[in-house]
Amino acid sequence: MMKNINYSYWISTFKAFKKNKVALFFLYIIIGLIAFITIQPFLPDQKSPNAIYVDEATGLQLINKPPSKEFWLGTNSIGQDMWARIWAGTRISLLIGFTVALWENLIGLFVGLIWGYVRKLEGIISVIYNVLNNVPKTIMLILLAYTMKPGLLTIIFIMCISGWLDSARLVRNLVVTIRDREYNIASRILGTPIYRIVSKNILPYLVSTLVLKTTLSIPAAIGYEVFLTYIGLGLPVSTPSLGNLISEGRGYIVVPSLRYQLMIPALILSTITVSFYTIGNAFADASDPKNHF
Amino acid sequence: MIKYIFFKILQSIFTLFLVITIVFVLMRSMPVEGYLGEDYDKLDQVQKEVIIESLGLRDPIHVQLKKFYNRIIAGDLGVSITYRPGVPVADILKSKIPYSLGIGLTSLAISFVSGINLGIIMAENSGKILNKLGNIYIVATNAIPAAIYYILLQFYLTDIFKLPMLFYADRPISWILPILSLSLGTTASYALWMKRYMADELNKDYVKLAISKGMKMKDVIKKHVFINAFVPMVQYLPASILFTISGSIYVESLYSIPGMGGLLVEAIQRQDTTLVEAIVLIYSFIGIMGMLFGDIFMALLDPRIKFGKSEGRI
Amino acid sequence: MGVKGKIVKKFLLLFIGVAVVLKACTMSENIYPNHRSILDREFRTIYSGEVTTLNYLTTATANEFSLIVNFVDPLVEYDRFGKIQPALATEWSVSEDGLVWTFKLRPGVKWVTYDGEIYGFVTAQDFVDGLKYVLTSENRSKTANIVYNMIKNAKEYYNKEITDFNQVGVKALDKYTLQYTLIKPIPYFLSTLTYTCFFPANGQFIKDVGGKFGIDNKHILYNGSYIMKTYEPHHRRILEKNPHYWDKENVYIDRISMTYNKEANVLAPEMFLRGEIDHVNIGSDIIYEWMRDEKKKNLIRPNRTNFFSYFYSFNFNPNFSEEYEPENWKIVVNNRNFRKSIFHALDRKAAMLTEEPYEPENRLLNTITPKGFVSVGGVDYTDLQPLREFTQKDSFNIELALAYKKKAMKELRGKATFPVKVLMPYNAASKQWANRAQVIKYQLERILGKDYIEVIIEANPPTGFLEKVRNSGKYGLMELNWGADFADPETYTHPFRRDSTFSWIHLAEGNGKEDGLTIYENLLQKAMEEVEDINKRYLLFAEAESYLIEEAFVIPYSVGGGGYSASRINPFEISYSPFGATSGRFKGLRLLKRPMNIEEYKKELYKWQMERKGQFEGGRE
Repeated sequence: MMKNINYSYWISTFKAFKKNKVALFFLYIIIGLIAFITIQPFLPDQKSPNAIYVDEATGLQLINKPPSKEFWLGTNSIGQDMWARIWAGTRISLLIGFTVALWENLIGLFVGLIWGYVRKLEGIISVIYNVLNNVPKTIMLILLAYTMKPGLLTIIFIMCISGWLDSARLVRNLVVTIRDREYNIASRILGTPIYRIVSKNILPYLVSTLVLKTTLSIPAAIGYEVFLTYIGLGLPVSTPSLGNLISEGRGYIVVPSLRYQLMIPALILSTITVSFYTIGNAFADASDPKNHF
Repeated sequence: MIKYIFFKILQSIFTLFLVITIVFVLMRSMPVEGYLGEDYDKLDQVQKEVIIESLGLRDPIHVQLKKFYNRIIAGDLGVSITYRPGVPVADILKSKIPYSLGIGLTSLAISFVSGINLGIIMAENSGKILNKLGNIYIVATNAIPAAIYYILLQFYLTDIFKLPMLFYADRPISWILPILSLSLGTTASYALWMKRYMADELNKDYVKLAISKGMKMKDVIKKHVFINAFVPMVQYLPASILFTISGSIYVESLYSIPGMGGLLVEAIQRQDTTLVEAIVLIYSFIGIMGMLFGDIFMALLDPRIKFGKSEGRI
Repeated sequence: MGVKGKIVKKFLLLFIGVAVVLKACTMSENIYPNHRSILDREFRTIYSGEVTTLNYLTTATANEFSLIVNFVDPLVEYDRFGKIQPALATEWSVSEDGLVWTFKLRPGVKWVTYDGEIYGFVTAQDFVDGLKYVLTSENRSKTANIVYNMIKNAKEYYNKEITDFNQVGVKALDKYTLQYTLIKPIPYFLSTLTYTCFFPANGQFIKDVGGKFGIDNKHILYNGSYIMKTYEPHHRRILEKNPHYWDKENVYIDRISMTYNKEANVLAPEMFLRGEIDHVNIGSDIIYEWMRDEKKKNLIRPNRTNFFSYFYSFNFNPNFSEEYEPENWKIVVNNRNFRKSIFHALDRKAAMLTEEPYEPENRLLNTITPKGFVSVGGVDYTDLQPLREFTQKDSFNIELALAYKKKAMKELRGKATFPVKVLMPYNAASKQWANRAQVIKYQLERILGKDYIEVIIEANPPTGFLEKVRNSGKYGLMELNWGADFADPETYTHPFRRDSTFSWIHLAEGNGKEDGLTIYENLLQKAMEEVEDINKRYLLFAEAESYLIEEAFVIPYSVGGGGYSASRINPFEISYSPFGATSGRFKGLRLLKRPMNIEEYKKELYKWQMERKGQFEGGRE
């Protein structure tokens, strides 16, 4: 019986979501993008994102060539194929985004629920939260970078270490506002087990916020990677990412003829952000039972 | 409530102690060569040893920690090691904080007021043109990387309005752009969350009840929805206010503002432990206080929320 | 809601309006001649690296030297041709045995405080006090080693083996006579006096300010051409001409305002075009654009190169992780033909294109010691017989590279595994270096074949980079660099000595050992012992250096500096010296009415070279 209700809740959510044409459009964009970056390396005439292409006659690299039949989006300042780099970068960035966002919000949800609901643990979790939240990430990052090699795993690892804090706090605050409502107090008095109160009375209230938070976390993680690159702690250039491409291209912001080397990765980043933002909002709306009727 | 606050304060002090200890140990676990900075290669072995030793870095960690605690308890933030050797950390911070605070608070005030209002308007006009415009704005500021649109704003607006390119403390006209840049993003995020909370509230049964009872929508919003949606917004406000002193690395870098933005990162990279400790001390104090005030605020504004060990009371 | 709505609407409209205008306008409209007013005596510039201290007695950083040399004068200074000229010393002499140097000081030179008040006179005691500060180990001077490797008893004082400073080899014979006593005869002693650790400092003032000497503009005294009136770290500095300067006739710029900006490489070019500043470096990012635009092209000129020497070293003490096969590396690196194959396969021009897309050849260096560093009898050191063959031709030669590859593979068959893993780390903080590493990887693999080598480029964090990577031997082939400390070829031998942690050349096999010394060390020792005959000394050093290159222990790459500037400064008026210290001086500089362009630069360079040749004809240096 309960299962049935749950089942129809999600069906209704998807139904409500499908009504939002704009969100659906962006969902298709994201699905399309993911599909494209997955198959892109296997398409014909693709180049390696790291290989350096040279002029056969002189042996010197082809620097900043404009888009052509050979190089669909031209080459960068050391003769690498921009087309290949941009898609490889998108791949890496999305990978970072998804991994970090999922981790952040799963752990955040778990910790946040305990934090908000189990009063005995509230003090200790607050202390842990405050400690982790106040030890600057940069220190951890530099130390980790010192012990681990700068690279994809290090970046993901460091983002995950502290990333869940925000979600945990968000969840906790929501739980705190809900837990003392009359019906919960009534449930408690009636002896309903905690997990049941949490899953039936509290979780549904969190879904909309949490979905929104997760979808926003994806572009946020990608954006954070851009920031880390800006302060010199990002991925090595031999691993193209949107952060790397943007920081490489930043100097071109004042160079009209080469600005596209910045603008294309920025545009992709923006598209990803906008898509997830729209999808997240639409889904949050859809997941609210009141919008199901 | 008073007992709760007292308990919280004790807990905060303990947290603070943990934070600075962890940071101290982390900083000290970086390679000591870092303290020699970029001149590293020009020093000989004897010299390196003399310098490292005279900085007290060869002492066992517990001795260093003890010295550090004594200093902090005496209220002495110490002297910078590598960022500006010999300058008291307090002086460095004193010269930087006002810049970040001034610009940050102005911008925060602007964004809070405009963000909240924008959120309300969007919630009230959901589906209408104003909502769409607001959405475009929110999406745009979120979607375009700040690192890019800040520069574009700086380049073109200074050119169009003949403003100075950089910030000068004695020319108020040069403050406009940094404040504006800083406000755009925060306004958007305030608007986003305000709208979200408003929308959540508007969907609640009491609104429908009130309407069905003949209350005007405007009054419902003013009297109930707004307050309820406003509560979670306020929770982060104290921390946001206090954290304006940390400045913005992008904006301050672009406009040559000698504020706190990027100071922590630079101090860490230069391994200036005393400076890092001082900044961490301030930031975590603020963070923890912000959290505490936030909780208290929330408890005061929303009588349904109860903190502390008053579980049995209904 | 009405009022609130209006505000928000206005806000939105503003934003949209801005967005529309953004698209409509382009920036290349305003160009230099539109400067509202050309200031003749004020120089405005942007800098992106802030100094950490003004304590010239402790710092060893070029960035700090180049500011401080405007505030405090040394005993002697370099003119625009690199010739030593009297500054605070008017005349000097050296004893027969080359150990005792006596300087007559210029009388009447004044110490001035930051607000322009006269504090006192510069006397011989000030030089003694300065050295005492440097040699007091508690002051943590980073240049103390320069002093104690030359001055008698200085090391003993630094190590607290003696406590009486009077025993140290620096004395004020009278108010205006100063005497240094050295450990050994040092032919280049005069040049080291331009190092800031030998600068004077008023002992009373140091005592008065306590531990705060040099922490800001108020805590130093000035006797140089400029006084720093305003110093707001990470914001701005204002320098004003010192009205009490002894040589103020040769100071032409009255006021220098320097503004800090971390993003200077993006913002400053535009500020130059808008006439807000008078000097800007045009980075490799935007140089294309400026070269393509006729108007902008006319505003830029090349920068001069400096005396930092960059080279690729083979590591003879491989200490890196097993996955990169250090044992295999040890075998191949000791094979001369293997080293030579890489030596000839490295296309240095291709690597340089990442920094210098135009005329990369100007930066390439075929020796370790840069061209123009020292000369003897009118002949540049790098043109001396032993080095000439390298100076004359590019090391990049595909046929030779492949020939050596063939030989190496034959000799190493069965002993080493191919492809050889070549671990090439770089500092992740340097975008240029990262680019270079990538280019070299692909370039080497392309020429030598992936059957022969596999270059592995590895990003390393900037924190403790040198210690972690170079000094620990965690590389196979790596770009290293070294700058001069004094005007003698000996200074460039440091990285290759036994006590350095660069590439452990002494561990190389087949490097011959007599008396426990390698061939190179023998050559070096012979050169260092020759302190009488400069001609012979330089020839011996050149021989040692050519041995390093011939054996391909090292692949010379380039000099530092370079790039392009748009500037109202004539680079040929700048004090010319091999070690950065005095090249930051504004003394003697005049502001041009309009920036020099590339053709003018070339003309001026030729003129300067000719004049310089005349200055040094027959003489040393």
